[in-house]
Amino acid sequence: MPLPPVLSLREIALIGPELLLAAAGLLLLVAGAIGKGLPRREARLLAGTSLVLAAGLSFVVRSAVPAGGSLRIFGGGLAVDGYGFFWRLLALASVALVVLLSGREIEAIAARASEYFALLLIATSAMMLMVSALDLLTLWIALETMALSSYILAGIFTRQRRSNEAAIKYFVLGALSSAILLYGISLLYGATGTLALEELAERLPAALAQGSRIAPLGGLLVAAGLFFKIAAAPFHFWVPDVYVGAPTPVTAFLASASKLASFAVLGRIFLLGFGCTRLEWQPVVAGVAALSMIWGNVGALTQTNVKRLLAYSSIAHAGYLLIGVLAFSEAGLWAAMFYAAAYAFMTIGAFSVVALLGRDDYAGQTCADFAGLSRRRPYLAASMLVFLVGLTGIPPTGGFFGKVFLFAAAVEAGWTWVAVVGVLTSAVSLYFYFRIVVSMYFERGTSEEQIPPAPPERALHLGVGLCAVVTLVLGIYPGPLIEWVERSLLTLR
Amino acid sequence: MFDWVHGVPILSLICFLPMAGALLVIFALRDPATIRRFAFGVALLDFLLSVPLWFAFEREGPLFQFKEGLDWIPSIGVRYELGIDGIALLLVLLTTLLGCLAFLSSWSAIHEREKEYYAFLLLLQTGMLGVFCALDFFLFYVFWEVMLVPMYFLIGIWGGPRRLYASIKFFLYTLVGSVLMLLGLLALYFWNAQGLFGWDGAGNPLSFSIEQFHRAGPAMPAELQIWIFLALFVGFAIKVPMFPFHTWLPDAHVEAPTAGSVILAGVLLKMGTYGFVRFSLPILPEATRRLVPWMIGLSIVAILYGALCAMAQRDMKKLVAYSSVSHLGFVTLGIFALNGPGLSGGVLQMINHGLSTGALFLLVGVLYERRHTRQIADFGGLSAVMPRYATIFLIVTLASIGVPALNGFVGEFTILIGAFSKSWAWAIAATLGIVLGAAYMLWMFQRVFFGPVVHEENRRLKDLSGRELAYLLPIVALCFWIGLYPKPFFRILEKPVAYLVERVAPETAGSAVAAPVAAAPSGERR
Repeated sequence: MPLPPVLSLREIALIGPELLLAAAGLLLLVAGAIGKGLPRREARLLAGTSLVLAAGLSFVVRSAVPAGGSLRIFGGGLAVDGYGFFWRLLALASVALVVLLSGREIEAIAARASEYFALLLIATSAMMLMVSALDLLTLWIALETMALSSYILAGIFTRQRRSNEAAIKYFVLGALSSAILLYGISLLYGATGTLALEELAERLPAALAQGSRIAPLGGLLVAAGLFFKIAAAPFHFWVPDVYVGAPTPVTAFLASASKLASFAVLGRIFLLGFGCTRLEWQPVVAGVAALSMIWGNVGALTQTNVKRLLAYSSIAHAGYLLIGVLAFSEAGLWAAMFYAAAYAFMTIGAFSVVALLGRDDYAGQTCADFAGLSRRRPYLAASMLVFLVGLTGIPPTGGFFGKVFLFAAAVEAGWTWVAVVGVLTSAVSLYFYFRIVVSMYFERGTSEEQIPPAPPERALHLGVGLCAVVTLVLGIYPGPLIEWVERSLLTLR
Repeated sequence: MFDWVHGVPILSLICFLPMAGALLVIFALRDPATIRRFAFGVALLDFLLSVPLWFAFEREGPLFQFKEGLDWIPSIGVRYELGIDGIALLLVLLTTLLGCLAFLSSWSAIHEREKEYYAFLLLLQTGMLGVFCALDFFLFYVFWEVMLVPMYFLIGIWGGPRRLYASIKFFLYTLVGSVLMLLGLLALYFWNAQGLFGWDGAGNPLSFSIEQFHRAGPAMPAELQIWIFLALFVGFAIKVPMFPFHTWLPDAHVEAPTAGSVILAGVLLKMGTYGFVRFSLPILPEATRRLVPWMIGLSIVAILYGALCAMAQRDMKKLVAYSSVSHLGFVTLGIFALNGPGLSGGVLQMINHGLSTGALFLLVGVLYERRHTRQIADFGGLSAVMPRYATIFLIVTLASIGVPALNGFVGEFTILIGAFSKSWAWAIAATLGIVLGAAYMLWMFQRVFFGPVVHEENRRLKDLSGRELAYLLPIVALCFWIGLYPKPFFRILEKPVAYLVERVAPETAGSAVAAPVAAAPSGERR
C-alpha cells in the first residue's frame, strides 16, 4: 500500500490521546530517575490527570469523525471509529480505577512508584492503539508494548519471590505466545500477501479456495496467541500463578484492561479479518469458550485464596466473552461489549476490596480474611456482595444483563449447547463466589482488636464505591450503555 | 369507594413500598425496636394498600387489570409492565398478608442483626410481589432471581445449625432451575419475533410481553413447544417443588427462621405453580396436553411420597415441610387436570396451603421460641398447658387435612372433581393422599397435645400472648371464610380459569365456566 508522502499534522493530532499518555509516561520515568524520585502521591496524581485528559481528548478525536463513520489514518494502519472509541474509553476507565487502587501496596516500592505509573500509562497508550489497529503488524507492535509493560509490572516488587515468579512465568509464556502470534501473522501474510485486515478479509476466501494450507494454520496460530492474551482455556496455565504473585493493583489491571483490550483485538480480527471464514473457526471458538467456562468455574471451586479464585473466574469470563464473537452477529458483539464493561467494574471492584483488606504482603487474600467483614465494615462487605452477585450473573447487576445478552445471542445464532454450558457453569460459579459471601456475612471474624486498624485510604474507598454504583446502575438501567455500544459496532462481513 | 386505585400506579406502589422501607431501614434507622416497628408498619401499610385491589377489581372486566407500563430497555423490547388477573390478585393479597404476619412473628424470635434481617425480609417482599405483578416475562425473571439473594441470607444468617448447607443448597437448586428457564424464555422470545433453529417465527416485534406470548404461543410448532416447556418446567418444578426436585425443601424449611419458613412455604412455592398457570399452560398448550400424563404422574408421586415421608418425621418442622410437597402435589394435579374445577381448585389450594402451612410454621415457631426444640417426642399433653394454642393448632391441622367447613376441604374437593372427570384412577390415588394426610397430621397432633405431660419443663409453658394471637387469628378467620363461603374466591377466579381452559383444552371449555362456582356446595351431583 502506498504510504502518504508526509505524515500530516491532522493524523498526528488524531492520535493525540495516545501521544499524551506516552509523553506523561516518559515524563514520569525521567522524574523518577532524578534525585530521590517522585513520591507516590504526586506520581499518582500526574497519572490520574493524564488519564482524564486523554479521555477528554478521545472525545474530541471522536467528534472529528461523523457518528457511525470510520476514518483511516496512517495509511490504513489505524482506524478512528466507534468500536475503537468504546474500547479505549473502557481501557481508560479501567486503568483510572487501577490508579485509584494503587495505594498502600505501591507505597512499599516508593522509590519506584513513578516507574510503576509510567509503565501503566505506556501500557494504556499501547492498548489504545491496539484497539484501533487495522493492520496486523501495527496491532502486534501495540500488543507487545502492552505486554512488555505488563511483564515488568507483574514483577515490580523486586524483593518478593512470588512477584518475581509471576513475572518470569508471565514473561516466558507471554513471549512464547507473542512469537506464536507473530508466526501466525507471517503465515497469513505469506498466504494472502497483505497485513491489512480488510484486504485480508477479501483475499482469504480465495486463498482457502485454492487449497492453501498455510492460511488456516496462520489463522489458528493467531487465534492461539490471542486466546493466551485473553486467558482462555486451554491457554490459561499462566493465569492463577501470575494473578496471585503480582501486586493486587497489577492483577486488577491484567484481569480488566489488558484482557479486555486483547479481546477487542480478537473481536476485530475474527469478525473483520476472518469474517468470511467463520464456518471454519466457529467450532474452534465454541470449543475454547466452553472449555474456558467449564475449566474456569470448576477450577475455582476448590480455591481458598481469593486472588486465585478470581483468577479462575477471569478464565471463565473469557469464555463468556467469546460467546459474543462466536455468535457472529451484531447482537453478539454488542452483548460482549456490554459484558466487558460490566465485567471491568465488577472485577476491579473485587480486587480493590482485596487490596483494601491487605495489611501486609499477602494478607487479605484467603476467604478466612473476609470472615465477619459485614460487621466490621458493612459498606465494604455490601460492595463486595454486589461484585460477587454481578460476577455470578444475578440481577440487579450489570453482570446479569451482560450474561443474558450473551446467552441470547448464542441461542439466536443456533449455538444453544454453548448457551447451556454457559448457564450451567454460571450456576456452578455461585458456589465459589458465595463462599466469600459466607465468610463475610455468616462467620464471625477475629474481633476488631486483633486486627490493627488500616490507615484510611480514601482513594480505594472511592474506587470501590464507584465500581459498586456502576455495577448496580448497569443492572437497573442498562439502556444508555446498550444504545452506546449499538452505535459502536463493527460492520460485520 | 375504592375507585381511586385506578388513578394511581397502585401495583408499583405495592411492589416497591417494601423496598423503599428496606432502604430506609438500612440507611436511616439504628435502634432495633424502631426498626422492628417500622418494618412491621411498612408491611401493614403494604397490606392495606393491596386490600382495595380486591374491591376495585372488576370481576367481569378485562383479564389483566390495573395495568401500567414503561419502556425499560427499548432496544431489546423489554418493558416494565405490571398488571394482575384474578389469580395474581389472590396471590398478591396472600403475599402482603403473610408478609405482615411474618414480621409480627419475628419480634421475639430475632435478636441479632435485626437491621439486616428486616431489610432482607422487606426486599424479599418486593421480589415476590414483583413476580406476581409482572406482565413482562423478562421483568418476571428479574424479580424471580432478585428474590433469591435475600432468602439466601435469611436462611444463612438466622437459620438453624445446618444453615450454611441449607442456604447454598436452596440457592444452587433454584438458580439451576431459573437459568434453564432463562434459556426457554430466550427461545420463546426469538421464536415470537424472527423464528429460531429453522422454525418460522410469528413475526411479531421483539418483545417479552406475556400477553403477546399468550397470543402467539399456541401457533408454535409442537416440537419447539415441548423443548420450551421442558426448559420452563425445570425452573418451575424446582420451585414448587415437584418430585424429584424437592430435596432442597426440607433442608431449607428446617433451617430457616420461622418467618423465612412461613414465606418460603406460603409464597415462594406458589411462584412455581403460578409459573405453570401463567406461562406453560396458555403459551404452550400443545406441549401441555402432550405432557399431561407425566405431570399428573409426578404430582401423584409427590402426593403419596410427600405424605409417607411426613409420616416418618420426628421433627415437627420437617413434617410440615414434607406435607408441603404432598399438598403442592394436589395443586399441580389440579392444574394439569386442565379443566375448570381442577384449575380453580388448584389455584384456590395454593392460597389454602399458604394460609394453613404458613400458620403451622408460625405455630411450630411459637413452641420453638419457648422450648428451643421441635422434636415431637419432646412434647406431649400440651393441650392442658396451652389450651388456646392447642385450639388454634387443631383448627389449622383440620384445615390442612381438608375437613369440611375449613378451607382445605374446598380446595382439595374441587381438585378431586377436576381429576375425577379426567380419570377416576387419578382421583383414587389422590384420595389416598388425603387419607395419609389425615394420618400424619392427626398423629402428630395426638403426640404433641394429648396424653400426660412427660417433660417437666413443658408444665410451665406460657399460652399464646396477645401478639401471637394477633398474627394467628387472621389466618384462622380466613380458613373459616374460605371453608364456609368460598364463592367470592371462585368468582374472582372464574374468568382467568375459563380463559386458561379455553386455551389449553377448548373441547371442555363450555362446561368449565359454571363448574367451579357450583362445585363446592353441590359437588356430589357431578
